[in-house]
Amino acid sequence: MKLICMEIEIQLVHEPVADPIPPPPWGIVGAWLEFRGMVRSEENGGNISALEYEAYPEMAVREIRRILESLATKYPCRAVKVIHRVGVIPVGETAIYVGVASPHRGEAIALLAGFMDRLKQDVPIWKRRALPVETEPRKNRAPVATKTPLISLDEALAEIHSQAQPLPAVRTPLARAFGRVLRETVGAPTDLPDGDRSTRDGYAMRADDNSEIFLVVDTLHAADWKPRQLQPGEAVRVATGAALPCENLRVVMQEHVERDGQKIRITRHEPARNVRLRGEDVKAGQPLVPAGGRLEAGRLALLASAGCAQPLVSPRLRVVHFTTGDEIVPPDQTPRPGQIRDSNSILIHGLLQKFPGDVVPAHLPEDFAAAKQLVSTFHLQPSTFDLLLISGGASVGDKDFTRPLLEWLGFEIVFSQVNVRPGRPLIFGITGGVSVLASRLVGSLAPPDQVRMAFGLPGNPLSHFVCFHLFVAAALAKLTGAAPEKFQRGRLAAKLDDAPCPRETLWPAHRDPAGLHPLAWASSGDVTCLMETNALIRVPANRGSIVAGAEVEYLSTD
Amino acid sequence: MRILFFAQLKDATGCDSVELTPSSPLSAEQLWAELLKHFPKLAAHRSSVRIATRCEYVAPNAVFAADDEVALIPPVSGG
Repeated sequence: MKLICMEIEIQLVHEPVADPIPPPPWGIVGAWLEFRGMVRSEENGGNISALEYEAYPEMAVREIRRILESLATKYPCRAVKVIHRVGVIPVGETAIYVGVASPHRGEAIALLAGFMDRLKQDVPIWKRRALPVETEPRKNRAPVATKTPLISLDEALAEIHSQAQPLPAVRTPLARAFGRVLRETVGAPTDLPDGDRSTRDGYAMRADDNSEIFLVVDTLHAADWKPRQLQPGEAVRVATGAALPCENLRVVMQEHVERDGQKIRITRHEPARNVRLRGEDVKAGQPLVPAGGRLEAGRLALLASAGCAQPLVSPRLRVVHFTTGDEIVPPDQTPRPGQIRDSNSILIHGLLQKFPGDVVPAHLPEDFAAAKQLVSTFHLQPSTFDLLLISGGASVGDKDFTRPLLEWLGFEIVFSQVNVRPGRPLIFGITGGVSVLASRLVGSLAPPDQVRMAFGLPGNPLSHFVCFHLFVAAALAKLTGAAPEKFQRGRLAAKLDDAPCPRETLWPAHRDPAGLHPLAWASSGDVTCLMETNALIRVPANRGSIVAGAEVEYLSTD
Repeated sequence: MRILFFAQLKDATGCDSVELTPSSPLSAEQLWAELLKHFPKLAAHRSSVRIATRCEYVAPNAVFAADDEVALIPPVSGG
């Protein structure tokens, strides 16, 4: 027998496979051959967003080792590293990685080819199913003009909606799923309840049994499961919630019987059966929690009761947030004349809490060259973030570099002015991911069609608040696969006093049971009205004042 | 004897494993007969399924003991 001295490392992982994988540690071996099997965007002729893999892990690792040891006798190599990812793998990401080190390329290539063939025959790993692309294809836009025109609120929202695409879903333990958006409808695995159950502490007997006296033949606690057919004249003692021993029973409350040893006599008759019937809440297979809803505590509890321990949900969002402007000082410092405290960082941080994820914050210096220098240290590969927010610098002043910065990063500016107040100088950019941004920065290959979005938000806090709820939240909803917040209709509780304005206005308001109370705000730098604001009233262009009691459109912000 | 189901066999049985309590060791033939009693939908997969115990594929004439963990492996599709 030939001695095998090939080092073998095998991993089954749920997380993305690193890129790149470090080469073997023992220096030059001659050949280091790497192979990555990627998830294609097509499966059986249809477009997909991801494949879900399943494995029998213990046996898969053992089979891989067995195959490699057998091939090593024929093709002696120095070392092999195999990483197979399982779970939901988005299109364009690595499903399997194989690295082979050997003195000469011939053995490495032969071993790799032989290994992949036998992996596909024998290793218990399965492509379980393809996850479809969830939205309409992105519309083709004309090349972006150097100056984008002023567009309306509805046009801006339609543009964001057409550019943003849901991120590939992931499976996550229930404890980490709070606030995520459920991405597939979860059905009831069994009838709920799964059998007839008592709603009272009392005695169960046949529903058609009109006897007065019953023999108590058993006692059932809440957790008991003791099927039996009851005969006429027989009853069982049951606790509230207990599974009844058979169907077609009724339960008499214990207050309505007299007990004497093993016998009971019914002292009061009432029509109620006091039984929750099998499948009364929901029948097996019927939808229990529909896709598209945010997972709050109650829905998580429902998923747990249905045995769905790893729901398919939106991934954690990765947001990069840059603040700009030399006039900004941290909240714990006293601003000198001309300076203000930074309230936007915590505002954005707070607003993003509704969308579970991680925010990477940074403050950029006002000097464009220095800002670019700092940004380049972030290694903003398209695969490392989902959304870029830049606070301030969205206007066209000398030092407002948000637009040039986004362009330098490879973003295409979709629009830069929306005809609303506050928040007119709003920049929205996208990047297709692969080309410019990647070559500009680190040279990573992003999955095709993975669009990254960026917003340049006007620096004033109220504009920030309004633009987040109007535009950023709409983009985040689409990324997570949730329905966007819609304008609702409500009544003004007090007069909205305004001169006609040629722009649509989002007017801060406080909503209570009496209706919408317009709040006073002097300019978009006004932060005091944020104390009470929980709605934004949509005032059409040139409308002017609106009388109390009038019906208006508003966006809820709480 | 614990029987493990994977991939499409989970859909056919509605579960990922089942516990059998045979009074004596079972041949593959007897194992299938027992499983099909509980899960008639498995019949459609029988010809393509391989059986493994202790993480290794077994020969068609294998015998399964009461304390074996037995895996039914449908055609694989890794990579």
